[in-house]
Amino acid sequence: MAPSRSKHANQTCVIPGGFTVLSLQFSTDIVAQHKICVKEHRVRAEKTTQRPLDRTLFVLNIPPYCSEGVIKELFSQFGPVQSVELREKPGSFEHSGPKLAKYFTPAQKQRFRVGYIVFQKAISITAVKSHPHDVPLVVSTEQRPVWTGLQKWIHQYKQSFAQPDKLQEAVDTFMQDYDTRKEQEAERQKEEAEEQLEDEEGWVKVTRGKSGTKTRPHSEVSNQKALQKESRKRKRKELMNFYTWQHRNTQKEHIAELRKKFEEDKQRIALLRAQRKFRPY
Amino acid sequence: MLVSLLARSRTTTYSDMCVNVTHDSHVSKMEQSESSHDEEDEGPTRAKRGKPEVVQNGLLRPVTLSRGDLYKPPTADELNQLKEAESLFHCSLLKMQMEELLKEVSLSERRKQLIDSFVQSVTEQLQTVPQTSDMELSDLSWLSGGVKVPFVLVPKAAKGKFHMAPPISVTIIGSYPLGTCTKPGISVDLAVAIPADVLHPKDALNQRYPRKRAIYLAGLAQHLAASPAIGAMRYSCLHGNRLRPILLLSPPGKDSSSFTLRLHACPPPGFFKPSRFHPQRNNIRTDWYTGLGTTSEPPTPHYNSSVLGDMLPSAHLQFLTAVSSQCAAFAEGVALLKVWLRQRELDQGVGCFSGFLGSMLLAYLLSCHRVSNTMTAYQLLRNSLHFLAFNDLTENGITLAKGPDSTAPSLAEFHTAFQVVFVDPSGHLNMCADMTACTYKQVQHEASLSLQFWDDPTVDGFHALLMTPKPMIRTSDHVFQLCELVKLQCCCKKLNLLSELMDHSGNYVLTALPFILSLLQRGLGQRVRLLTHSLTPDPEWPVESDAPKHNTQPPLSFGLLLNPEQAASVLERGPPADSPKAEEFRQLWGSRSELRRFQDGDITEAVVWEGETTCQKRLVPRQLITHLLLSLLLSHADIPESCVRYIGGMLDDVIKVGREVCSTGEEESLKVVQSYDDLSRKLWTLEGLPLSITSVQGAHPALRYTQVFPPVPLKLDYSFFDREKYAICVCSTMNPSRLPSPVVVICHMEGSGKWPHDRVAIRHIKAAFHISLGELLTQHHHYTCQPSPTHLDVWKDGLVFRIQVAYHREPQVLRESVSPEGLLIVRDNAEAQALEMATMQRPLLTSTLHGLQQLHPCFGAVCRLAKRWLGAQLFSDDITEDTADLLVASLFLQPAPFTPPGSPQVGFLRFLHLLSSFDWRNNPLVVNLNSQLTAADYTEIKNDFIASRESLPVMFMATPNDKKVSIWTKQAPTVQMLQRVVMVAAESLKILEPQLMDTSQIQDVVMRPPLDPYDVLIHLSPKQVPLLSQAVDPPHATFSRGILAGRVANTGGALPVIDFNPVTHYLAELRDAFGDLALFFYDPYGGTVIAVLWKPKAFTPLPFKTSQMVARRVEVSGEEAHTVPNVEAILEDFRVMGQGLVKSVEPRTERWVV
Repeated sequence: MAPSRSKHANQTCVIPGGFTVLSLQFSTDIVAQHKICVKEHRVRAEKTTQRPLDRTLFVLNIPPYCSEGVIKELFSQFGPVQSVELREKPGSFEHSGPKLAKYFTPAQKQRFRVGYIVFQKAISITAVKSHPHDVPLVVSTEQRPVWTGLQKWIHQYKQSFAQPDKLQEAVDTFMQDYDTRKEQEAERQKEEAEEQLEDEEGWVKVTRGKSGTKTRPHSEVSNQKALQKESRKRKRKELMNFYTWQHRNTQKEHIAELRKKFEEDKQRIALLRAQRKFRPY
Repeated sequence: MLVSLLARSRTTTYSDMCVNVTHDSHVSKMEQSESSHDEEDEGPTRAKRGKPEVVQNGLLRPVTLSRGDLYKPPTADELNQLKEAESLFHCSLLKMQMEELLKEVSLSERRKQLIDSFVQSVTEQLQTVPQTSDMELSDLSWLSGGVKVPFVLVPKAAKGKFHMAPPISVTIIGSYPLGTCTKPGISVDLAVAIPADVLHPKDALNQRYPRKRAIYLAGLAQHLAASPAIGAMRYSCLHGNRLRPILLLSPPGKDSSSFTLRLHACPPPGFFKPSRFHPQRNNIRTDWYTGLGTTSEPPTPHYNSSVLGDMLPSAHLQFLTAVSSQCAAFAEGVALLKVWLRQRELDQGVGCFSGFLGSMLLAYLLSCHRVSNTMTAYQLLRNSLHFLAFNDLTENGITLAKGPDSTAPSLAEFHTAFQVVFVDPSGHLNMCADMTACTYKQVQHEASLSLQFWDDPTVDGFHALLMTPKPMIRTSDHVFQLCELVKLQCCCKKLNLLSELMDHSGNYVLTALPFILSLLQRGLGQRVRLLTHSLTPDPEWPVESDAPKHNTQPPLSFGLLLNPEQAASVLERGPPADSPKAEEFRQLWGSRSELRRFQDGDITEAVVWEGETTCQKRLVPRQLITHLLLSLLLSHADIPESCVRYIGGMLDDVIKVGREVCSTGEEESLKVVQSYDDLSRKLWTLEGLPLSITSVQGAHPALRYTQVFPPVPLKLDYSFFDREKYAICVCSTMNPSRLPSPVVVICHMEGSGKWPHDRVAIRHIKAAFHISLGELLTQHHHYTCQPSPTHLDVWKDGLVFRIQVAYHREPQVLRESVSPEGLLIVRDNAEAQALEMATMQRPLLTSTLHGLQQLHPCFGAVCRLAKRWLGAQLFSDDITEDTADLLVASLFLQPAPFTPPGSPQVGFLRFLHLLSSFDWRNNPLVVNLNSQLTAADYTEIKNDFIASRESLPVMFMATPNDKKVSIWTKQAPTVQMLQRVVMVAAESLKILEPQLMDTSQIQDVVMRPPLDPYDVLIHLSPKQVPLLSQAVDPPHATFSRGILAGRVANTGGALPVIDFNPVTHYLAELRDAFGDLALFFYDPYGGTVIAVLWKPKAFTPLPFKTSQMVARRVEVSGEEAHTVPNVEAILEDFRVMGQGLVKSVEPRTERWVV
């Protein structure tokens, strides 16, 4: 009756959406199991070499104590793993900026994550999907223990110390890189500027798109400043207490102000009364 | 008890969005009625009114008036009203508030009818009192039915005849006919005139009249007991005066608590000659009272005035009625004054400033034209407070008597007999006879305090003036109680007060009180600004039992308002040894007084009290008072401790730092600040940095004296730790007991074109600065330093300082981004805000609060107590440290109607009161740091707040630098958490205050959180909790391995393990992983349990989505797949993620089902 269930219902568990559910437990002496969902990665628009469509496995609900390394180990039982990518939210592959030294990469949050596992062979995917549901994957075993809790934190604490000279080195390499990038950028801009200049005969080469940049303010802030300046100018030109109607208007405004305040106060009182705020004791 | 009170079902907490718990039911009720009312109204009328939908679910909304409404031509009436509100009151708000208050306290017509009919029936009953035959006064055998005489018949013998007879008249007197009677505790006075033939003209002598009066009352009680029209009957006495018993009648049935009728028996008009009761005449003969014959007969002013007081009520009523008919607002003015007095606990008990005195005061002001007949109630109140504040009735009494009667005593004569003098219209009676000078001083103090904040536009004057109760424990800095009042009897003997005792007819408490007060005043001198005492409440007892003895009174409480500069000084410097005053000084201090030579060469008498730390010095008044009182009360070595209970430092225990020396952390904080000052000096003078340092600022609670447990300098035993490379020791066995917590210091670097304009590059440059700063500090000052990309740790004086380099343009850089068109966009983001907060706002706050600590020495201690409480109740993550500090700062900056707290205890109580009573929903809390905000700013803040209430944090706090955003409370607390904090604070206060005042031993109940509202408890292994010694119940054995005693070396040595707290790591991981499903609560000060609460919607099944598959399992039903949390695995994960730290996970499945 249920088309969603495959015929190996007692072994593999497939749910609507095409995901296969696998069990995962931390170690053999722990009974409780997490359910992870796997599916072959299939996205129409994606054209990256990082996630080849036929060899990539998309995994949901990976517990926080499973790092890339652990996942790689865990899934190599189905065939050699080429790479593992863990992310907080599913999405397309993103290029990060310049590569940073380990001191400067921000600490990752310990969350449940999704993973993209790229196998070396496409056959591994089917191997995963046919893995029986009631045989759990075990994260931490005698051969490759996974540290959690105190041991992990002590390790982290020890790792957090940077040797000053190494740190300095990392800073220096990054800054050199940064400087060269800056120089290149400056170079490029200079070239562009030169293009705008007159040549010997007084001709300016007009290119598309570049001409507008000069008149347009290059930041939002200066945009607003210009507008404000304009309105201030207009205000200065106005005469204030000149006509009788202006005087009358100020008086009217005063009364309106008082009235408004009165109404506000009335509202406040009504509220307080409703809350019985006038009972002194 | 607390536990049961606080237990609540989860559904109510989360579904109820209203912050103000206590008023919920009313609000909803009112809303219902209002909405139903609206429905009855036709739609058009509502639209025509143009009134905004006021009070929609109890939230203020900005007022929108249509143009037509705003600009229509005003009528003359409206114009007048608006102008009056503008000029007389600050705003129409205050005027309307007063009107509402008056409505609230005045009696309803229905109640008046009830009273009138009851009075009618009682009067009729009284007329039918049967006549009895003459008998001896001492023969009470005719009284039957178990009714006793409300009088202490000592001495027993009394001459005279007595018989019962119906009263010649029954009249209503007092506040009810005058219209000044207010809710609650409505009492209607009925004067019953005793027929002249029952009395004898000489009865005023030797308590004969008061006894006859009491017996007459007993006779009335006996008669009335049979009547079905009367409910319960009790005796009491007027203002605690045992000579003037009264009979309290309450109506029968369900109205029994709505009012009480007080029967006063009084002599027929003009029966005694008033001149007989001159304060210098004797009306109690010594040989009758003591049984010993003496030649001198001392005057009995108090006895005289109490007899006289019986004769005048109807005259007073006539006088007051005449006055009030002249002045329209008289009754309302008196009502306001009564509310004001009641909030200050001044209107009841022996020697109180009663509502009657209030009416008389207003009458006096009217008669001498200090106020005019046309004034409003508001102005009457204001003027009477002004009069009270600036006129000392203890020195210059006032009189209402117009034509001086030749027999009436002069004011000077009154002054010799009484402490406070206010003479009634007849010129014979001092209406303040029982009042002590201290009580009057208290009234004066309160009046001048009220005037101070009345005009302050930044204070909610109405609320502070009339709505905030001021119980003694929350008003006075220190409070002490005199238990075992029987001891005062021997004190009277010792002070030779026999004639005064006779005058007070044996009430030794009242007799001794003025003497005790003057002794304390002399002893405390400049240390206190005000000494107050509780007014003994009027005793009440059933008609079937004897009058209670004097020793059954509740303990006398005294309140001290300390003078912060002098209260804590350990030295009491007396007069020079050869001056005549020296003898007096020696007498006062007895054996404690000794001759001392001072540095300026003087040799004077002096007393030195013990006290080394601030915490001990704060309790110097206690030593002093105990010394004074014990020497007074005890002739022999009795049980001294139980007599005097001093409530001043009861709460200090939970913030004590050292176990050896008693200290509450002031000294430790000072050491940290000194060390920091030294470091900052050294940083300033560093040379060789590529850019110069523009500022060094502390950004840590320890640097503003508010760290709950300030870091203590450590001396490490290096042999204990494994030596690792980098000269850093990490103990691998991990049993850190006192982890030095780093003190954060922000170091701003000069701006320069050389700073890169890129967020990642700036971080690298900062790292480079950390390295070079560390190198320079090691080179020049030999400190051990450890740079890291985000900070530099410096090991100095046994403390760890964490220096963070900051660049003032970095937040700006973080905000900028370039759009695809090449337009530079500035957008605020969380990252930039966090950085700005850490590098700019927090240092600023730290320095400001540091300044506040210099002004108010106990600011830090209050903050620490408050934060310890928040921690203990597991609220540390909701009310953050900075928020708590600001809350406490507001107590000091805007103490109205109190004075700034002078002791940690009173500050803490007020903190709880503020938390629980502030209307967070409709009001912003403005913390006027450095008094930078003006009244205009306040209105601006308020208007902005109302305009955008919905989008602002639930707990809104504005400071001079942050008028619109409330940066400190932006993240937390949430509505639900704030509601819970409010509730727990209210309960804590409710439990703590009586506990402080009553029982002799204090339990830290308020510091122990109720754990049963939580769903899962994660118990931690105590050995792995590093701050265990800070727990409310610290372990007996503390682990302090690897730490040596002795002085700390200034420099050098390897770094210890810094800031490694497994519990914080664990909590962070838990919140990261399961923050969507549950809330985690923990006491950061040595808690050994993490409480987990599932979120209300955690267990509802969600449709299967790839982005929501977090610790869930799939359930398939037909075509659809749903996910539910995999609770079993989650509970297992709690254990796995905290391996080594978690002892057990206790799911309380009785509270929830999956």
